[in-house]
Amino acid sequence: MFSKISRKLRGALALLALMAAPLAFADEPPPSPEELVKIQAANGKCLTCHSEAGLKKPPKEGLDLKKLRSHLVHLDTYTASDHGQMACTKCHGDGYDEHPHEADAKDSLSECQDCHARKAMRIERQFDKSVHAENLSETFTCVTCHDAHSMTLAAKLRDPHKIVAQDNKICLDCHDSDLAFAKMAPDKKKRPPIDDIHDWLPNTRLHWKAVRCIECHTPTEDKLSLSHEIQNKDKAEKKCATCHSANSSLNARLYRHLATEEQNKYGFLNSVILSNSYVVGATRSPTLDMILIGLFVATLAGVIGHGLVRVIMTRLRRSKNHD
Amino acid sequence: MTNRVYILHLWIRLWHWGNALAIIALSITGISLHFSDPNLPLVEFSLAARIHNVAGVILAGLWVVFVTGNIVTGNWWQYIPKPPGIIKRCLTQMKYYGSGIFKGEPEPYPPTPEVNFNVLQALTYWSIMYMVLPVVILTGLVFLYPQFAPDKLFGLDGLLPIAMLHYIGAAVILLFMVSHIYLGTVGPKVSSLFKMMLTGWYEH
Repeated sequence: MFSKISRKLRGALALLALMAAPLAFADEPPPSPEELVKIQAANGKCLTCHSEAGLKKPPKEGLDLKKLRSHLVHLDTYTASDHGQMACTKCHGDGYDEHPHEADAKDSLSECQDCHARKAMRIERQFDKSVHAENLSETFTCVTCHDAHSMTLAAKLRDPHKIVAQDNKICLDCHDSDLAFAKMAPDKKKRPPIDDIHDWLPNTRLHWKAVRCIECHTPTEDKLSLSHEIQNKDKAEKKCATCHSANSSLNARLYRHLATEEQNKYGFLNSVILSNSYVVGATRSPTLDMILIGLFVATLAGVIGHGLVRVIMTRLRRSKNHD
Repeated sequence: MTNRVYILHLWIRLWHWGNALAIIALSITGISLHFSDPNLPLVEFSLAARIHNVAGVILAGLWVVFVTGNIVTGNWWQYIPKPPGIIKRCLTQMKYYGSGIFKGEPEPYPPTPEVNFNVLQALTYWSIMYMVLPVVILTGLVFLYPQFAPDKLFGLDGLLPIAMLHYIGAAVILLFMVSHIYLGTVGPKVSSLFKMMLTGWYEH
């Protein structure tokens, strides 16, 4: 309860800050090449310790290597991520300038909503209805799922395989690991085996390589981005035809960033999906369908016509014989 | 007094009707899956998928029964048109379907224990059983285990050519089935050939 109020308060404050004199915007222009060189040099200093190399060869004696191990940043992943052109100190502000960092440095760590105020408010309303808020409202924050050092927006990744890999890893890191699940879950809550509870879904793991968990576990009402209202099995999508049909919901979900530009290429329905996955019922060629339906109708008409002529001729012969 | 002659052994009749049921189930569920529409489902998608999978495996098993049975009993020989005069017999048969049948002429090559099928039948059955059906069964098995499909082909999902072959092959079988059922009515009586398919005896 308290955390909900405090979160709302934080959101309101963030909005105020946004309206007054914002220090940082999520949509501020990218740094100039000169600024970028400076940022990279500054980040390089942090990475002398906070990287695999730093862990292997600590530049300083007396470092708590166990603690360091859980605070490593992979430079290439970070650079490719949405925050990759930002200085570490943009979020890790006061107290992180020197080593050893100040004991209360963590308190001054920037929150996501400091920059992403509008988005955070929209997402918060969705999150409050989610299964995560229901069970874990005290501990669940943005960074539980979204690692600011590696996340890339789906619109930027574009390749559905990359989007699926990134997003499903987030879910499966907890829901496919007893250890990680136990860290977050309320006491006595046992992790349901992920394959068992999805055994109704044919080729389960192949589905998870092709589509995201959130394709089924979120509602579609939010038009701006995918909803953060993660739903449990009672509300989640279970109708195959939602994706497996001409009007596939995948167009509004996984393929939303590609759907407009590649639609109907190669003469197939949902051709944008086709370049990644053949989805029964969704990716079909209307021309081939018409040809085959035409042949079927022609064959049916042919045999019915042949039969009718046979019946008429037999009757004619019979009546002739009677005469 | 009608003459009757025993043409079809029990195993091939059992195979035929099993095959027929499997293909009917596969056609209905296959059409339902391909033209899937959440608002107008012929058979609900997941149910259709389950039926299609089971019937597909049964069809593959029955194909093995058919091939093995043909080898063991020597019945495979029935599906090979024998020279001389194959083309002439083909034309005679076509002429019969195109005109003779309307004039009440008798079937030019009625079934006998030695030669069960006319040339057109033998050629069609051979092509369907040894060319089209294996393609549909093999592509269907890849669909059942899509991890064996190629990942990518010409920049598109590797399942696409598999799916196209499966779809076109299945459509050919469906067209065959429609004509096959109709041609079942062209015996001495409308019911004669259906009766033969059930009892094994050809009455004429």
